[in-house]
Amino acid sequence: MLTILLQRLAQMAFVMFGISVMVFLIFFATPGSDPAARIAGKNAAPETLAAVRHDFGLDQSLPVQYAVMMKKLFVTGDLVSFVNRGLKVVPAIVEATPVTLSLVFGAALLWVAGGLAIGIAAAAFRGRLIDRLLMILSLTGVAIPVFWLGEMTNLLSQNRLHDTLFFSWVPALGYVPFAEDPLGWFKALLLPWFTLALGFIGLYGRVLRASIVEIYQEDFIRTARAKGLSESRILLRHALRMSLVPFVTMFGLDFGALVGGGALMTEVVFGLNGVGKLTYDSLQSLDLPVIMASVLYASFFVVVANALVDIAYLMLDPRIRSN
Amino acid sequence: MPTPIRKISRAMTVPLAVGLLFQSAQAAENRDALMSAHRGGTVRLVSKSAGGTIDPHINYAPLYWNYFPGVYDGLVAFRKAGGAESLTVVPDLAEALPKVENDGKTYVFTLRTGITFSNGKALGPEDVVASFRRIFKVSSPTSGTWFNGIVGAEACLAKPADCTLDGGVIADASSRTITINLTAPDAEFLYKLAMPHASILPAETPPRDVGIDPVPGTGPYAFESYDPNKALVWARNPHFREWSAEAQPDGYADRFELSFGLTADAQVNAIINDQADVMIDQPPATRLAEIGTKFADQVHLNPQLALWYLPLNVNLPPFDNLKARQAVALAVDLKAAVNFFGGRNLATPTCQVLPPDLEGYRKFCLHTRNPGEKWSGPDLDKAKDLVKASGTAGQPVTILVEDSDVARNIGAYLQSVLNEIGYAASVKAISSNIHYGYIQNSNNKVQISVTQWYGDYPAPSDFLNVLLGCGSFRKGSDSSPNISGFCDKPLQAKIDRALALQSTDAAAAGTLWAEIDREAMEQVPLVPLFNPKQVTLVSKRVGNYQYSTATNAWAFTLGWVR
Amino acid sequence: MPRDAAKTTGNPSAGGAEGFRPGERQPASTDLALQEEMLDPPAPSPWVSAFRSLLRDRAAVCAAAVLMIIIGASVLAPAYARFVAGVDPFSSNLEGEILLNGESVPVLQPSTEGLGLGVIPIGPTWQVNGYFLGADEQGRDVMARLLYGGRATLLIGGLATALTLTLAAAIGITAGFFGGWIDQVLSRILDILWAFPIYLLAISLSIVLLTARIEIGPFVIDSGSLVIPIAIIGIIYVPYVARPIRGQVLALRRSEFVMAAIGLGVPSHRILLRDILPNVVTTLIVFVPLMMALNISTETALSFLSLGVQSPGASWGTIIRDGQSLLYSRPWVSTAPGLVIIVTIVALNILGDGVRDAFDSRSKLRP
Repeated sequence: MLTILLQRLAQMAFVMFGISVMVFLIFFATPGSDPAARIAGKNAAPETLAAVRHDFGLDQSLPVQYAVMMKKLFVTGDLVSFVNRGLKVVPAIVEATPVTLSLVFGAALLWVAGGLAIGIAAAAFRGRLIDRLLMILSLTGVAIPVFWLGEMTNLLSQNRLHDTLFFSWVPALGYVPFAEDPLGWFKALLLPWFTLALGFIGLYGRVLRASIVEIYQEDFIRTARAKGLSESRILLRHALRMSLVPFVTMFGLDFGALVGGGALMTEVVFGLNGVGKLTYDSLQSLDLPVIMASVLYASFFVVVANALVDIAYLMLDPRIRSN
Repeated sequence: MPTPIRKISRAMTVPLAVGLLFQSAQAAENRDALMSAHRGGTVRLVSKSAGGTIDPHINYAPLYWNYFPGVYDGLVAFRKAGGAESLTVVPDLAEALPKVENDGKTYVFTLRTGITFSNGKALGPEDVVASFRRIFKVSSPTSGTWFNGIVGAEACLAKPADCTLDGGVIADASSRTITINLTAPDAEFLYKLAMPHASILPAETPPRDVGIDPVPGTGPYAFESYDPNKALVWARNPHFREWSAEAQPDGYADRFELSFGLTADAQVNAIINDQADVMIDQPPATRLAEIGTKFADQVHLNPQLALWYLPLNVNLPPFDNLKARQAVALAVDLKAAVNFFGGRNLATPTCQVLPPDLEGYRKFCLHTRNPGEKWSGPDLDKAKDLVKASGTAGQPVTILVEDSDVARNIGAYLQSVLNEIGYAASVKAISSNIHYGYIQNSNNKVQISVTQWYGDYPAPSDFLNVLLGCGSFRKGSDSSPNISGFCDKPLQAKIDRALALQSTDAAAAGTLWAEIDREAMEQVPLVPLFNPKQVTLVSKRVGNYQYSTATNAWAFTLGWVR
Repeated sequence: MPRDAAKTTGNPSAGGAEGFRPGERQPASTDLALQEEMLDPPAPSPWVSAFRSLLRDRAAVCAAAVLMIIIGASVLAPAYARFVAGVDPFSSNLEGEILLNGESVPVLQPSTEGLGLGVIPIGPTWQVNGYFLGADEQGRDVMARLLYGGRATLLIGGLATALTLTLAAAIGITAGFFGGWIDQVLSRILDILWAFPIYLLAISLSIVLLTARIEIGPFVIDSGSLVIPIAIIGIIYVPYVARPIRGQVLALRRSEFVMAAIGLGVPSHRILLRDILPNVVTTLIVFVPLMMALNISTETALSFLSLGVQSPGASWGTIIRDGQSLLYSRPWVSTAPGLVIIVTIVALNILGDGVRDAFDSRSKLRP
């Protein structure tokens, strides 16, 4: 088991290394990405450009630049942005984390509750009209592009219907720290939570229904039925419990990706300065240090979540382990 | 329109006329009354994203150039006022405008007494000398283009760390005089001194980019905190005592909070819903009709010294051919471009490089249906003939636009037109952050693009020499604002002559600039589209909104929210 | 990208395609019909029986009908533009006027009230003979563009799906069948691709590819061609399909009948062709509608980065994008393509469920 873990760790490190090298190379292969002129300012004299280039180490060879950047990122932690000079990248990500966590935790609560409700209801009424309707609704939720949903939400809540009773409570876009104003925090995040969660509710509801229906074919359910247990007891105590395995692993993967900054469109549309917004902004302004840091941060969560799920499967499936 | 440059030169030579004194006494009384009525409050500003470093010697983003004038001072400043009144240069940290000696090569300033930085330290001549050295030590963007005329600048540009500006900037501690020696007369030197890059900072400011740690200044406000992912906050400087209501008046509001992260649409919503007071970004063109009708009294329109234009690469086919360039200029419907920007009340079609309000501006239009003073419509038939005559018909043309709504629309329209007059046009949008550097670099072989130029200071050379001068075309560099790659030796000689003449005979120089403007347009290195207006949406409680034409910025110290 | 999480950080549940996730085996059948069918006597051919059971699935048939209507409408786009609406959806129409209730109305209307700022395109006329859904900022008919956009979007979705499935099958089979270091290398490449920030790749490619022409032998890839979005979309989802296929092949490789074949000395290429490939093909067929749905959403996201169909061409993504700036004044411009995308994705998923139930490869995988 230990060797498998170590092997897995080495693979994770390799993947992250590969990603960082690719980000680096792609950045420098992009024409017009040379940050020197953008750092120096419009109409800078050639001497000024050269000075800036030297100052930022851009006149060194690529491998040296890569090594320096990695050292600044992981060892000394003083990597600074190209665009907002002086902005330390690592603290910037650390500061953005609570915003992303607030958004993702709230949305996760909603989508787990919603997904459970829809999945159980659809499974209980499987094959009937309610089931069909719920499944089509879930699909619709899955199919709505999230940025589009967010913009429509803003269109209604901030503009068209802002003065009506329904949306007059909606505060200005942006994040309110929980410690400062818990109610304001809640109000500011309520609509983003629903926007982000909607698609996941549909997705999780469908997955849960599918696995419950599958479990129903298993022998132990037939046994339980034969014993005369009530239908709701079979559903909730037996089938549901067994069906939660794929539900939980899926949750692990999605949650990891979102905490890593995957909710970027929601954060951008609602003006929440989280990790996703940071990633998006840095990509927009081709700010390599921030891109590098946020991409590695995100891929860390993705890779770890993947590894955890794989290891969980390994432990569940002895056939693969023996190989 | 009056020609304000002449006003500036008068102000330079006769600082205070008697009538002006009387007027200002009355104004001071008014100001006291206004101050007691409107003083206080917090202004909430919103913007899409942060504007980079907070170092006034380095930052070159329009966003913070709005705010530096209320936080930092130079030896001189543009008058803090709205509209054309702002075009006058007035003494700021200096007691009076300098004596210009030695055929325009020596400027002597006397520093005011009793001025204190926001950290409590008194301002002295050594701060001025250190600040000029620091411009070079931190490789300020304009150190090599604006301040390279100071004696000793060459050495500083070569070795920034050891910069002394020996013989260039000399301070005399006892008489509090600062003498600046130039290698050649520079009629625009006072403008350059009025820019944020020439702010006077405490001598002990570190000789490197301070990034996000604010530097103390002498203005009525001081930066309090800065986080590029959250907000920039500035509040009253407790050590500020007003010394000149013209150069640096005390502000009305107590505090300004500029928060980052809202899209332009969200900013409009925030203002309308009274969640913010001033939006920094231009409202999206498609929201203009809504705010122009429903919130008309909260909208401010202000002319800018700026130009939207299409640079044509004169070194690449098909636009290395004069007839092809003329054809484009004739074919483009300026009204279409104006409409994409927001309609005729927001932009004025133009056929020349110089914007109105500048010395040397004489209205003309060469490439239009009826050439004359005004643009009178496109002439597609003539354009088609010219393309045929040029022998470039059928050639591929790629239009490179930045990824913003207005530019994309102009690009799509341009594609239609170029196809119509006989080219095989395609349009590409690339990220706004890369676009400007990308189209400047001749290695990228950009044929035609859509871009804009906002003047730094109100001088014709800041348009003609920067956009079309041989010196600002640098092959293979991302910093080459002469995007057309246009270099005409006789015209350049004329530009140099006008620059030299400017310090002795402003009117004659103006005539010369007008000729240059016209002769440049005969060769069509670029197709001017329009001069835009700044449109600002503010909340109901914002009063006395003034937009400074000179700095293309909101004169925020004059506004109030009470 | 349909879901936020989507590919920037490689959220595996990106967009609608439930179930098939990397590192996980396929979920089971969701339909009871299949269980009943298993009791039937074996059909003459698995393909025929699968098709028959698909026809019996009413929801899937309805979904297929909806898709046929959407495809049909897209195919007939030129007819609509030319004969019904009488417009050219690809050129700017800034001065145009149309007849509305007997009155001549400009397509782009400068605001005359208040400060007279802004120019607003005409809104939906709800008349089929022109500007049914209104105009965009270039004065082009949104309805005509929506129909034309369907062609580009469906074409990109279809070809990208073909590309993904081909690449994924090749990689998945190679990795799963040969194992060892080949598997290691391929798997790690898939990992990197999966966790890679697709937006960075897209922005970078948008500059590299869109400004340059690429010439490969006699083929010239012009920046305006659909090849670029197809290639990008086709490649980014390879790991999504390749991993389950690798898992499937791995399981097949260890199954008794393959072990037996290897023991008997049957050459690898015969085992691959006879035993492995048919099983993989059914899995791939199951993936087709799901990948189509996913690719359509991805096309929308790429258009947002100006990487999709280039102006003046249209796709649903580019129309949403064009409508983005008009959201507050002419919301229909982005609402209409948004709704069409939702309907298409829902229909594709329902069809996908049906196909999966009909072709369910799980029972065949069981040794």
